[in-house]
Amino acid sequence: MRILIVEDTPDVGEAIVAWLSRVGYAVDWQMTGEGARDALNVQSYDLIILDVMLPDIDGFTLLGEIRARKIDTAVLVLTARSQVDDRVGALDLGADDYLVKPFDFRELEARARALARRRHGATVSRLQVGDVVLDQAARLVTVAGERVDLTRREVALLEVLMARPQRVFSKADLLNQIFGFGEDAGENAIELYVARLRRKLGAAGMEIKTVRGVGYQAGPADEKK
Amino acid sequence: MKRSRSSLFWRLTALISAVLLAGAAVLAIAASNYARTAADDAYDRVLLGAARQISETLSAENGVVEAGVPVSALEALSASRTARVYYRIVLPAKTEVTGYQDLPLPAGAEAGGAGPFVSNTDFKGHPIRIAAVGRYFAEANGWVMTMVGQTLEARDALARDLTLKAMVLVGLMSLIALTGMIVAIRLALRPLTDIETALLKRPPYVLTPLDVEAPAEVATLIAAINNFMERLAGRLAAMQRFIADSAHQIRTPLTALVGQVELLSAETNAAKRQHHVERVRTRTAELARLTNQLLSDAMISHRAETMGQSEVDVATLAREALAAAVPVSLDRDITVSFDVPPDPVVMRGDAVSLREAFKNVIENAIQHGARSLLRLTVRREPHGIEVEIADDGPGIPQELWPQATERFFRGSSGGTGSGLGLAIAREVAVHHGGELGFKSQEGIFSVLFTFSGVEPS
Repeated sequence: MRILIVEDTPDVGEAIVAWLSRVGYAVDWQMTGEGARDALNVQSYDLIILDVMLPDIDGFTLLGEIRARKIDTAVLVLTARSQVDDRVGALDLGADDYLVKPFDFRELEARARALARRRHGATVSRLQVGDVVLDQAARLVTVAGERVDLTRREVALLEVLMARPQRVFSKADLLNQIFGFGEDAGENAIELYVARLRRKLGAAGMEIKTVRGVGYQAGPADEKK
Repeated sequence: MKRSRSSLFWRLTALISAVLLAGAAVLAIAASNYARTAADDAYDRVLLGAARQISETLSAENGVVEAGVPVSALEALSASRTARVYYRIVLPAKTEVTGYQDLPLPAGAEAGGAGPFVSNTDFKGHPIRIAAVGRYFAEANGWVMTMVGQTLEARDALARDLTLKAMVLVGLMSLIALTGMIVAIRLALRPLTDIETALLKRPPYVLTPLDVEAPAEVATLIAAINNFMERLAGRLAAMQRFIADSAHQIRTPLTALVGQVELLSAETNAAKRQHHVERVRTRTAELARLTNQLLSDAMISHRAETMGQSEVDVATLAREALAAAVPVSLDRDITVSFDVPPDPVVMRGDAVSLREAFKNVIENAIQHGARSLLRLTVRREPHGIEVEIADDGPGIPQELWPQATERFFRGSSGGTGSGLGLAIAREVAVHHGGELGFKSQEGIFSVLFTFSGVEPS
């Protein structure tokens, strides 16, 4: 996954680049809005992390330009502003998520990962397979309109599966996706979460199938049920 | 206050002067009319007297009417130098006995009659007053009319004189009234000057109540000023406390941070270095959260004073707060449950403040409580809208509930919180005409926003 970071404070930019590179992402770092424009002209990204206080161009202006150019890359806005008088928030201007400085780098990584999982270009951040709907921003799940209470990890696991219906994910894939860097968990944890998810979703119009020897896939439930 | 610059004193004086002037004008017109009537009355009587006196002297012999005009009769009339007196005695056949032959008869006297007749007319180019009486003479075959006329100077002079005297009196009275009023106004306004002096004399740090003796009308003003000063003093005291507390809250983790960094730079043992790094990380996170809350608190106060309210959907705000406040990277695998009515829950409010309040309570729940459950519920109740944020953590002991919403309150755990989250939440709730409460039930601790008096939609 390729990420563009637009951040003018060297210490912050350096830390973000180091952190995200360590997790295994390809990272480009631009310190000005002008530089970000150039980078976007020659390269496509999976995610843009954008500081709104840039020396040359206002981050919100840049965000507007990005959206005007129909680039549907997910944008995570970093802001140090307080909404004392700001009438419009970053989300109203087309950002997919925002973090207020100072932020926890683990949180930045987690949010970046969550954004990358979202379907590109989708205006509403929700996934749907059968009658199961997952609200990616609020991280809430409903089945046939009824809310289902899931833990954070169960939601994360479900999100990975639902983002690519029918695709088979290995346990190792899933483990990488839902546990952060440095967290210690084994593959049997995945089995446990899948079992819990199946129980909680019950007779939903979607099921998580086991593909023997390979992994798991999400797809509409079979008719007979 | 800056809007009206004209003085209260001058406004009152002008108003009263205008009223007095109008009154004086009405009185003047009335006095002039009355003087005219009085002068006419007096002079008409003299005029008629003269006519009667002359009429008495008339005698008829052998069909000839004769008159002996007594000088005394006319003397009274010509008292003034400028006044001129005319008389005429005329027979029914309009032939003269004596006098000015073209002196006109007063109105109504043409047909004859005993009279008396009095009216205004013109003679020799001057306006005159003319009076006539008649005597019937059989020899003359009808009414012999005696007329006496007089120019108007004398009666005009009398009328003028009477009017003038009345006017002088009216003027004097008005002057006395005006002077009295001015004194009264000055006296009435004196307490205001006293208040002004009392306020100006104070040093800026004195915010104790004013002690100025004042009549009931001004006492309410003093009460209002005192009430305002009390609020100001309260605000100021709170601010001073806040600054002192903030200084302590910011400096403590900063000092710890400086200390840990010093230790870190001197430490060579890898395990101990790791320990210091951990401490630095914790302290930094603490400081970050504190900074956010201090700013959030200042922002809420600012918005409460300056921002208008609009229609907001509480359920949407709660959902946004949840998305922003629950870390995606949270290690604890908690269940987040979100229970709202299917349709929007609309009330009037400031979206940013409300979202901030919910966020703070949610962050608190995650920071201090929430072992495995965080539940956010929005309900429409008969008494208003309820937003409940519940978790299965230790919560706040019931005996601490009254203090829990005070700034920089910390639970007995002595945790890492800044103690601002609940204070912010309460301020927002109160600003929206609601309140913040707590509930503890079967191991679940809840913070409850109640926005009452919200019109259901």
